[in-house]
Amino acid sequence: MKAIEVEHLSKTFKVQKNRDGLKGALRDLFSRQYNEVAAVNDISFSIPAGEICGYIGENGAGKSTTIKMLTGILVPTSGKLNVGGYVPHEEREKFVRNIGVVFGQRSQLWWDIGVIESFGLLRKVYGVPEHDYKKRLDELVQRLDLGELLNRPVRKLSLGQRMRCELVAALLHNPSIVFLDEPTIGLDIIVKTEIREFLKDMNRDHGTTILLTTHDLQDIEALCSRVIMLDEGRIIYDGGLDTLKSRWGQGTRVTFQFGTACPLPRLQTLTSDLPVSWTAENDLHAEVLVPGELNVSDVLARVVGQTDIAITDIKITETTTDEIVRQIYRTGSAVNGSKGEGGLTSYA
Amino acid sequence: MYYIGLVFEYLKNYMKTRLTYRADFWVEVISDLLMQASNLIFIFVVFGHTDSLGGWSESEVVFVYGFYMVPFGLFSCFVNLWNFSDRYIVKGEMDRILTRPAYNLFQIFLENIDPPGLLGSVIGILIMVVSGSQLDLDFTWWFIPVLILFTICAAMIYTGIYITLTSLSFYSDSPTGIIPLMYNIQNYGRYPVTIYNRAIQFLLTWILPFAFVGVYPASLFLGRDEMLHMAWLTPLMAVIFLTIGIVSWNVGVKKYRGAGS
Repeated sequence: MKAIEVEHLSKTFKVQKNRDGLKGALRDLFSRQYNEVAAVNDISFSIPAGEICGYIGENGAGKSTTIKMLTGILVPTSGKLNVGGYVPHEEREKFVRNIGVVFGQRSQLWWDIGVIESFGLLRKVYGVPEHDYKKRLDELVQRLDLGELLNRPVRKLSLGQRMRCELVAALLHNPSIVFLDEPTIGLDIIVKTEIREFLKDMNRDHGTTILLTTHDLQDIEALCSRVIMLDEGRIIYDGGLDTLKSRWGQGTRVTFQFGTACPLPRLQTLTSDLPVSWTAENDLHAEVLVPGELNVSDVLARVVGQTDIAITDIKITETTTDEIVRQIYRTGSAVNGSKGEGGLTSYA
Repeated sequence: MYYIGLVFEYLKNYMKTRLTYRADFWVEVISDLLMQASNLIFIFVVFGHTDSLGGWSESEVVFVYGFYMVPFGLFSCFVNLWNFSDRYIVKGEMDRILTRPAYNLFQIFLENIDPPGLLGSVIGILIMVVSGSQLDLDFTWWFIPVLILFTICAAMIYTGIYITLTSLSFYSDSPTGIIPLMYNIQNYGRYPVTIYNRAIQFLLTWILPFAFVGVYPASLFLGRDEMLHMAWLTPLMAVIFLTIGIVSWNVGVKKYRGAGS
């Protein structure tokens, strides 16, 4: 069963152009010029129930706009949309009973009253029966270790504490689909880990479908089996994290430190029959890039086997997801990549 | 039923919050009272110079003012859209509202609930009783149900007008100055419309029908037969203007563009 289905979804905003200077401002007063900006441009994807999907992209790539359309906040300009069996913006009040939403940058809780009072109010708003509520609250409070925070007003909580409370607030009605917009923004590593663990458990125990946007790729690595990458309103990658790595990972980088001088041509001839590329800063220091399909040990054997080359240090580094994503962002495209720089497109 | 339950929940929370900021609460109540008192004093000053204003005696004008206060109190308790544009559009709190399973406008009413406003209604009733007895009005049983009906209708007219105007903020990013202007215009409604010229009478009757929240319904109790038909038009106007308000609100929500990230 599909939890989220999106077909040819677009959202364009009219943005007014501001002319320069006082004269321009006066002219704007009488005749406005508008630019049409496509925040989300013809995207299609579907997410099966029970999947955790990461939604990534640079600032302004259209992540939040998509989330806001999926949660019924914004009405799409065009395209079809089905989330948990509803068209979000059309049957908003019925639809939102099945979803939970956490905006990392915005609070769902009431600022001045105790956390538990906020929860009580949300229970009424969502019409959760007393018994279910108690059970669910106990479970969440215990899992997220909120015990002593419950009676404090929200304004006196730290960001980490507040974020955990936000999660509880969004999950009290036991939603089957949860949207998280930058849930770990600004949190320390311990709280981040805690929240990741919690989301993972929730997905496993309740089969909750989760769609999360983030700038922290460790969130993605820890949680998601699938990523959708967005750039300028278009999907540039949709698939597994492993595929992303193997397709765009530049392979493994091996750095050698030599005791005695070893010139670059010498190294190149040693591996002349292998598709590797060498770079060297000087005669004592060289780097080789081994593509994913090649065995690192093959390359190592060629170099280490030479008795006249004195090696003092070897460092092997795998391309991290961070690097891959940075590469993709920089070149701006991964799929249609016509003018990708570096080795990126050659692997695509 | 669900919505009535929510009203009580939000009221409970209002009380809890207010207990934390007690001084603020009393300042608000007292400034409200002073404002009403200054309006009333203005009427007394005017009648210090004349006995009749466009055919209305002092006690009648005070009675109309008293009636005007009752629905206005109800309105300002439950419908408070003063800072809507700032809080919900510019700061983007509308996002949160729209992800909850209750009608969005109703949630906004509840979040801004302001029970001290009801004090104005109580004072309004007292003013009606005092000025009514000065006028030797015959109190009959139907006064009470009709008063309740007209109060609700008048509050609906206010609500309709204000949500229509507030829904404009879905189209324009910056908060408009139209709401404060409206609060000024509505003040005309607390005096008998017949004292104004024809254009203003027309405006206050058919375009911004603030005459229907004061003088027209109040005239029924005063037994002013020339306005009788207008008084009974109040419920119809209430339905029309509330409908316009809700429709333009719902259209506006579809145009909501969210704020920031």
